[in-house]
Amino acid sequence: MSMDDLSRGSGGWIDYTIARAIEWPGKAFSLLCKGGILANYIIAILIILSLNFLLPRMMPGDPLQAIYGDEALVAMTPQLEADLIHRFGLDLSIDQQFIAYLSALAHGDLGYSYYYGESVSQVILAFLPWTILLAGSAMMISTAIGLLLGMESGYRRGQPLDKLLLAGVIFLSGLPDFFIGILLLIVFGVSWRVLPLSGALTPYGDLHGTALALDLLRHLAAPLAALVIVRMTSTYLLTRNSMIATLGERYIVTARGKGCSERRIQYMHAGRNSLLPVVTSVGLHLPNIVTGALFVEIVFAYPGVGWLLYNSILSRDYPLIQGILLMVTLSVLTVNMAVDLAYRRLDPRVGNAH
Amino acid sequence: MLDIEGLKVSFGEREVLKGVDIHLERGDALSIIGESGAGKTTLAMSIMGLLNGGCSGRIVLQGRDILEMGESRRREIRGDVMAMVFQNVEDALDPVYTISDQIEEAILVHHPMDKDRLRLRVDHLLIQVGLNREKGDAYPHQLSGGERQRALIAMALANDPQVLILDEPTASLDAMTKAEILGLLRESMRDRIGLVVTHDISAASRISNRMAVLYSGRILEMGDTEEVLARPLHPYTRGLLRSSPNMITTKDLQGIPGRMNSGVKGCPFHPRCTQHQQRCTFELPELRDVGGRMIACHRGGIVPLLEVRGLCRSFGPLKAVDGVDLNLCEGETLALVGESGSGKTTLARMIMGLTRLDSGEICLEGEPLEARSKEFYRRVQMIYQNPRESISHRMNVAEAIMEPLDVQGLGRSREKLERVLDEVELSSDPEFLNRYSHHLSGGEAQRVAIARALILDPKLLIADEPTSALDSSVQAKILRLLMDLQEKRGLAILLVTHDLALARKVSDRMAVMKGGKILEEGLTSDLLAHPLHQYTRELMESASGVDDDGVQVKARRQVEREGDCIEEQSFEVCRRPGTWQRMIRWMRSS
Ligand code: SF4
Repeated sequence: MSMDDLSRGSGGWIDYTIARAIEWPGKAFSLLCKGGILANYIIAILIILSLNFLLPRMMPGDPLQAIYGDEALVAMTPQLEADLIHRFGLDLSIDQQFIAYLSALAHGDLGYSYYYGESVSQVILAFLPWTILLAGSAMMISTAIGLLLGMESGYRRGQPLDKLLLAGVIFLSGLPDFFIGILLLIVFGVSWRVLPLSGALTPYGDLHGTALALDLLRHLAAPLAALVIVRMTSTYLLTRNSMIATLGERYIVTARGKGCSERRIQYMHAGRNSLLPVVTSVGLHLPNIVTGALFVEIVFAYPGVGWLLYNSILSRDYPLIQGILLMVTLSVLTVNMAVDLAYRRLDPRVGNAH
Repeated sequence: MLDIEGLKVSFGEREVLKGVDIHLERGDALSIIGESGAGKTTLAMSIMGLLNGGCSGRIVLQGRDILEMGESRRREIRGDVMAMVFQNVEDALDPVYTISDQIEEAILVHHPMDKDRLRLRVDHLLIQVGLNREKGDAYPHQLSGGERQRALIAMALANDPQVLILDEPTASLDAMTKAEILGLLRESMRDRIGLVVTHDISAASRISNRMAVLYSGRILEMGDTEEVLARPLHPYTRGLLRSSPNMITTKDLQGIPGRMNSGVKGCPFHPRCTQHQQRCTFELPELRDVGGRMIACHRGGIVPLLEVRGLCRSFGPLKAVDGVDLNLCEGETLALVGESGSGKTTLARMIMGLTRLDSGEICLEGEPLEARSKEFYRRVQMIYQNPRESISHRMNVAEAIMEPLDVQGLGRSREKLERVLDEVELSSDPEFLNRYSHHLSGGEAQRVAIARALILDPKLLIADEPTSALDSSVQAKILRLLMDLQEKRGLAILLVTHDLALARKVSDRMAVMKGGKILEEGLTSDLLAHPLHQYTRELMESASGVDDDGVQVKARRQVEREGDCIEEQSFEVCRRPGTWQRMIRWMRSS
């Protein structure tokens, strides 16, 4: 790969690499989820750590160069170089290096960002809350909306409301989230000027209490909407399908035979059972939401990890890029595990929940 | 009181129920039997108001027509006034709720009540159906099939409904569990209006006191369960009973030709009915009362083919046949059993017109026979113990089989020849057709004789010891052949034999003959299970080591103990006799 590719920012391979790097644990998750959950996750984490350790070291040329990039070397004094070699333990054998790397990680040491002049973990921690806010609320809201619309639509299969929703959703699901983001930005931010163009808070606003919360929501609204609109489509389609399948089950007839009301059948029986595949899919779609959030952050200059990643790529801050990718993969994995555990509680047939 | 009048249900173009009338009072338990596709489940679902198809007619419960009610009103009675025990298929219960939750739901949707009372009621229901609180707290997948069925019953009983509908309540249960569940169901239907939809006749016989036979959306026969089973009057009911394994009859299983088609004009059963007439193909028979039984058939059910009244014949001082009465219906086998010299062969020859009668009357299809016309022999044919008796040694196979056509002046037909050869499972290649009878094996000769008898399409076949000259393996095949012919053509067979064991396996009814008189006559299984006449018992004894108390069979069995050590034990098995009805009653009460 050449530096030119890199400097194109959101160009082809970055897109691809980020998506792959983030989706990978999701795939591993679905493969591994049969056995003991915890053991599987530990194995997955170890594999990720090893890859993160090995990849820079497997790159051709000087590992230091690979880690810090060409430009960093220009400004490097022999003193600094010796420091760095020692710091990364490049003078040690590979297994000693691995142990040193793990112990550094255990202390939360992800390396040093020379661009920000701070440790990578501190830099990430400063940006992380915004991404959690954006991706977390996007996940919850899109799941909730997708579920509700899916239940209504699946229950009224073939009726006008269902047809309308289905057509709309299929149209929306074809659009990338940053595109919708740009649309929203142009409409609400540029033309109508009802929403701010960038950032997460008004700079130097010095707001407190309700005003602060409102300001935060105003900044959040557009990026969140962009994410929700796109992400809710898969939940909607899945819920609708699963609702249709569930309505054909015998226990629905049993419930009718008991004299249950249609609402009760729709939500307590069909809906409740349709929830199961949706919950699994939330886990599987989490990587998509995170990727989506990263892109949307770039569009709205929202100060989260995505925006940070974008900037670190522009500034070729390799330790930071590496640190972000590791952090993102690990957190996706953790949420997946939580979803898996939640599923066991929802479906009595899985595991020994009872 | 539940009144169903002229109920029709259709899904789009397809009419599934074509006018069903049922009237049920409290305490009635009606079973609806029939093949799959007959509309049984549709009937049950339409009473519950669970169908989206177009229903017409009336379903009146307590003076109100369910079909006229709005959905909300229907929902109020569904699960409350009338309830359904659903078929215990995978996922008949919601997998994500516990059994207790689901029973509670059944109560709460109709009768909101506080937690404690609800808990009490649910516990009571669980105990009533043979479960307990622990099972109630389990999820459906943690229960066995029988327990799930019990849970479904508990849900149906939750609000003490007046009408209880059971849909295949014992499907997919093993025999022991089935017996227990049937007991529970019988108990549950007491003092209610019960409706059981099933294809399992033995299950139906154990829990219902009335039975209706549904075919292609219409009721063909309806009556008292015991009577319908003991004496089916509609050809379809008989076919259904013959084709379902049971512990009542002894005759081998037989099928019903063809398959059920829905768009049939006239009598829905006529393409498969062996006694159908012109009229049946265009005119629909109404369900009407024939001597206390409801039957939908233009011919009043299975028609009597042969009726013999007060037949006498003496040879000098010897009364060979002395006042014999006999009936034989279409598609039925009557075994005439007796020792040699009992007069059975003379009787058969008298029916055939080969021996003159001194007095008495023989009716064929309701008309008394005077002289034996040619036409008579088109309808009645006979085969003998020694087939070579009926095949002239001067004729080859083809000539022998087609001879009756010549006699009747019908003209030879290669096509007919091939058809009957096919029916009796003989090859029609020229080499075989040119053989003479002395070149045929015993089995082949008897098949040729049967083919010869069949070429005129008779309705009645008199078989005089047809297999006693054959090896037993060949005998089995010939008997199987006769039963298959009966199934396909509705052939009535008068089987004259001395072999009780053989008669037991192939006949519907049996008449025991001695000294020119019929001593005892009845359903084969009934007669053998409970012989009333001393002579019958003696015959049975000589047939298979039988004494007065029943059938004693010395059996040697290998009994497996503790895994691998096999011990031989010999012990006596005593089969207690009981009548047909007693057996049914016993099965119901057990
Ligand atoms: S005799 Fe006619 S009406 Fe009766 S069952 Fe046969 S086809 Fe139907």
